[in-house]
Amino acid sequence: MIKTERVLHLKSCVGRKLRVVREHYLRERVPCCSSLCQADCVNDGKLLPGDLTHYVVPDVAVVVDYLEILEFRELQGIIFTQTACQALQSKNRRYYKRLQTLVKDPRHDCVLFANEFQKYSYCPREKGESQEKWQTRCVYSAAVWYYNHLAGMMNIVMITEDPEAVDQFSSLTSGVYVISVQDYLQSFWSDLQAAHELFSSISQAQQETEGDDGEKEFPEHLPAEVLEAGIKSERYIQGTLNVNKHRAQNEAFVRPKNFSTKSTDLTWDVLVYGRKNRNRAVHGDEVVVELLPKNEWRGRDTALTDGDEKTGEDNESTPLPTGRIVGILQRNWRDYVVTFPTRDGIQSQSRNSQRILTIPWDQRIPKIRISTQQAEALQDHRVVVRIDSWESTSFYPNGHSVRVLGRAGELETEVQTILLENCIHILPFSDAQLREMPVNSLEKPWTVDPSEVAERRDLRDSRLVFSIDPRGCEDVDDTLSVRKLPNRRLELGVHIADVTHFVKEGSLTDLEARSRATTYYLADRRYDMLPAILSADLCSLLGGADRYAMSVLWELDAESLEVQEVWYGRTLIRSSYQLHYELAQALLNGEQVEVAELANLGPQEKGSKLAQLTEALEMLTHVARHLRAKRDRGGALELEGVEVGAQLDEERNITALVPRQPLEVHETVAECMIYANHWVARKIQEAFPNQALLRRHPPPQQELFNQLVDTAKAKGFTIDTRSNKALAASLDRAVDPQDPLVNRLFRMMATTAMSQALYFSTGAHPQDQYYHYGLALDRYTHFTSPIRRYADIVVHRLLTAALHMQSGVVSGKAPASNKEVEEMAHHVNSKNRAAQAAQMRSTALFQCLFFRERDPQTDPCCVADAVVYSIRDNGVLVFIPEYGARGPVYLKNKEGLVVVAGQDGSCDWQGGTVRKYPDRITTTSSCGTSTFKLFDHITVRISVHSSTCHADRLNLEVISNKPHHSAKSQQPSPQGRSQLVKEVVRQNEEALAQEKTARRPKLSKEEREFRQSKTPSLYSILEEIRELALMDLERASRLPATTA
Amino acid sequence: MAGLELLSDQGYRLDGRKATELRKLQARMGVFTQADGSAYLEQGNTKALAVVYGPHEMRGSRSRTLHDRAVINCQYSMATFSTAERKRRPHGDRKSTEMSLHLKQTFEAAVMTQLYPRSQIDIYVKILQSDGGNYSVCVNAATLAVIDAGIPMRDYVCACTVGFVDETPLADLCYAEENGGVSSLALALLPRGGQIALLQMDARLHQDHLETLIEAAMTACKGVSKVLDEVVRQHLQEASVLTGE
Repeated sequence: MIKTERVLHLKSCVGRKLRVVREHYLRERVPCCSSLCQADCVNDGKLLPGDLTHYVVPDVAVVVDYLEILEFRELQGIIFTQTACQALQSKNRRYYKRLQTLVKDPRHDCVLFANEFQKYSYCPREKGESQEKWQTRCVYSAAVWYYNHLAGMMNIVMITEDPEAVDQFSSLTSGVYVISVQDYLQSFWSDLQAAHELFSSISQAQQETEGDDGEKEFPEHLPAEVLEAGIKSERYIQGTLNVNKHRAQNEAFVRPKNFSTKSTDLTWDVLVYGRKNRNRAVHGDEVVVELLPKNEWRGRDTALTDGDEKTGEDNESTPLPTGRIVGILQRNWRDYVVTFPTRDGIQSQSRNSQRILTIPWDQRIPKIRISTQQAEALQDHRVVVRIDSWESTSFYPNGHSVRVLGRAGELETEVQTILLENCIHILPFSDAQLREMPVNSLEKPWTVDPSEVAERRDLRDSRLVFSIDPRGCEDVDDTLSVRKLPNRRLELGVHIADVTHFVKEGSLTDLEARSRATTYYLADRRYDMLPAILSADLCSLLGGADRYAMSVLWELDAESLEVQEVWYGRTLIRSSYQLHYELAQALLNGEQVEVAELANLGPQEKGSKLAQLTEALEMLTHVARHLRAKRDRGGALELEGVEVGAQLDEERNITALVPRQPLEVHETVAECMIYANHWVARKIQEAFPNQALLRRHPPPQQELFNQLVDTAKAKGFTIDTRSNKALAASLDRAVDPQDPLVNRLFRMMATTAMSQALYFSTGAHPQDQYYHYGLALDRYTHFTSPIRRYADIVVHRLLTAALHMQSGVVSGKAPASNKEVEEMAHHVNSKNRAAQAAQMRSTALFQCLFFRERDPQTDPCCVADAVVYSIRDNGVLVFIPEYGARGPVYLKNKEGLVVVAGQDGSCDWQGGTVRKYPDRITTTSSCGTSTFKLFDHITVRISVHSSTCHADRLNLEVISNKPHHSAKSQQPSPQGRSQLVKEVVRQNEEALAQEKTARRPKLSKEEREFRQSKTPSLYSILEEIRELALMDLERASRLPATTA
Repeated sequence: MAGLELLSDQGYRLDGRKATELRKLQARMGVFTQADGSAYLEQGNTKALAVVYGPHEMRGSRSRTLHDRAVINCQYSMATFSTAERKRRPHGDRKSTEMSLHLKQTFEAAVMTQLYPRSQIDIYVKILQSDGGNYSVCVNAATLAVIDAGIPMRDYVCACTVGFVDETPLADLCYAEENGGVSSLALALLPRGGQIALLQMDARLHQDHLETLIEAAMTACKGVSKVLDEVVRQHLQEASVLTGE
């Protein structure tokens, strides 16, 4: 190594100029990361392939401005120089992080070259040389070094935006070409249209910002040092900006980051009112606020506005701490989906400057100004944009377009929008990933590897293994076995698909699965975490096939059912029966049913096998009942995934893809899975006290139960929320015999009050926080569904490592550190949240699609029964059991008219007043008074409130304050609605249907009825929704045909 | 504040070293003839001068005399021009006093003081330029000076600082790294026996990592001792040539 010195001029903390000398060590050997390397560089990790026509070395300015183009996966052989990275780091940290992930991503063909530490490519900065010039020279010398290092076997192209550099360097070395970005794209990637469009859009956006002058619309942000000092001295408050979705123009809140601030009035959020005060901050940004004087503080509005559901209970509107934003610490801009306005919306603005204000899909985001020439063509289209900057002179942020999604309102566009808005990026599995997969075809059937047989415990002949799943399930990740042992013991076994055998850590498939983190279920499709060959075939524990598994075997005492011994390990199993729930339950009930696997056997043999299977099932049920009872004693919550669905995913996740119909066998399977998860959690936590991935469910905050308690009081029930046990007991008591919906609503409210269960690393939390509130277990994790959850894969690896450690085998790689596991947990948590949000949105989307094509005045589907579950200032919130929808109903409209019910219950709009009480709301007009109480059944009409720019939503209008009785007579069609999403789904993938059933509780009952009775009509309905989706294109021509 | 990236994904540190690499170490012994022993040592951009007087009779207060061994007296100071901003007070502030105490403890563990009862050994160290790792540079320089003075020691005392970043121990921190929020640890080692003469850490560190960190520090110290040994041999060779032996 050679030591040189670098002189830097820095500012000291007081602001004085300092001359700092730093050492700088150079070495001859810096890995070049190219597979063409002749000099035996120590290259580990990613390599640039040797079969490219050239390598690209982007200049500093190119990396800073056009990183998005370089992110295209089609561009191969990119060498990022250290110089460029450091420049990017000082200019834009967010992009620097993106660059880092890019370089780490093995799917992307680019490497980082530490040019400043290479002896021959380093050039010291000369006296008087400007920084930009020096950086360009560094990059060029790195390019030349590469050319020489690879002995001229590869052409190097340096792309720069500096025309002088092109002149100066282009003819200096043969084999090293220096050209501009535009030339580069044109000559090498002329057919990569998307890159060209992105390039022109970025460069246009840049020109625009350069020529921008004008009046200040906003005060300037304060410099970073002042903010730092201000935060330290508690003059300013740091926090994340949250824009109120329903009053996006004016209301936003900043949640203070550290609650340690001494001033007591800052325990809650700070209100930021109005555009001026918000000062160019966008939803999600990390901002710094200054509090305004107390006399300028103001309250929030609590009246129901469009689509409002969540505003607080305080209608007196107490003044909140109000502030203004003085600076932004960290922008959190992501990609936004916007809609181009129609022609009349563009108006005069476009003619002179080609700038267009586009409206983001997310209401919380301000309009974004975009300069483009394609405004005409893109009318009414949804487009992905990125925000570039927001100058203080401009009323709106500037951005550039990235990609066109399609016309607004089309199914495909809308689904893509939902994915993007939830930051879910899914590309199809690449060829390289699929190449890693084992083959299983007719010509080359996949077989069990003999060496694996030797290492694994063979359970193929010794145990009766079977799976119980929903009907038609493809990805079977769990199987069960149970048998009596001679020494008065029972052996219970849970066998989980051994995904980690096929998905090696660090492989492309693994990385892809990690970035997806979970399988995404949307209303009409799903995005698998693993390629189909694994999820539906080789990992799936199909009946009659030899499969690898990870097993947990317990030896239980036959009488007390206490655990005597536990065995974990890799096994080889062959599932004998692939049962479904209905069948298993029928067997348990002793009914005469046909088991597909036994169809071809003689009657006697069949009888004995059937008896054997039934005995196993009975034993299993017995064990599960015991386990359940034990957990109940500990205080497990029966929140009924069935009944509540959405937030509390505990029950749902465990029951995996199980439709929670009230069959006992569901509970049996779920219980075994919970048990397996719990024991694996114990094992890995003991083996790795600091780096095991567990799942915890923190106890809910008591305040959040207020609504539930108050509502229950109105109905005459008391809900005890002190502990999970008390809550479970009181929820069980709160049953109204007349109305089963009441209990369901209570459970729903209890669920919304719960906090979410989260993955975490054991090193990051003290042990008393490991507790799982919902399941009442001290340790819990996810182990049983590795096919569709990445967390389970991590847990499998941890368990394998723990077993290796136990047996003294030194496994090659140490398990991930606490920090990595914690990062992983965060990633998986956020992806799960995104998946849930996307799922919810897509369900809503389908609801809207269904109602959009119906005339609310005439179609009987659009009239439904609803239950009031919350009272607001000018309306009520209702729940529609038929469609599983929730929404607001206004009793007072914008003109000041109120709803008054007549003698027969039908409602009219009349002039009058509304009064709110804790448990009811009354409307008074000249004709009389009508009251809406909590848990009243009313009749509502459903229509769709559509908007081009945002998501459509359902509009509910009360038409009668009596229950809607005709529901029975029109059974087919309303159920058809729920059924039909389900059927579209089921046709695509059975599994998804199950997931949805679990999520949308009330459907399950109907589904059963439906399945039993009306199968033929199903297809007609299915066809109908298909057409709905297509109709926008051809609406004009085909409308008569469809309605007919 | 957004911190610097102390260890890049490629494994380079700010100045281009890898995690375990030390800074360039250069030293000379016998730079002054006035003193009994002296040495000048550069470790990267940290430069120190060490001078040893003694063993000689107790000076000043006689009451501190120990009857079975020698008293070691250390004084640490920094030149006013040693840092980027001029220092007001070269010695006598709290930091320097603490550092003097640490040096004293280190050398009491290494020098065979029982050979010189009722006497005193003075070690003066001055930092001429400071760029991180002041303590370890002082120890290394003082070791050479003590050897130059011909005072018997159990072994070389070698010191090194290590820091902990991204689960990796970094050897021999420079100033930018020390100030970049690294939890650092200073260790003085008698390398042959592997005995620790002094271990100092002020920052927070998970106890699981302590062992790896100490391990890394010991390796680094052994690296330092090799260089020092070479310097001593070189010096002896030169000296023997001069005296004509």
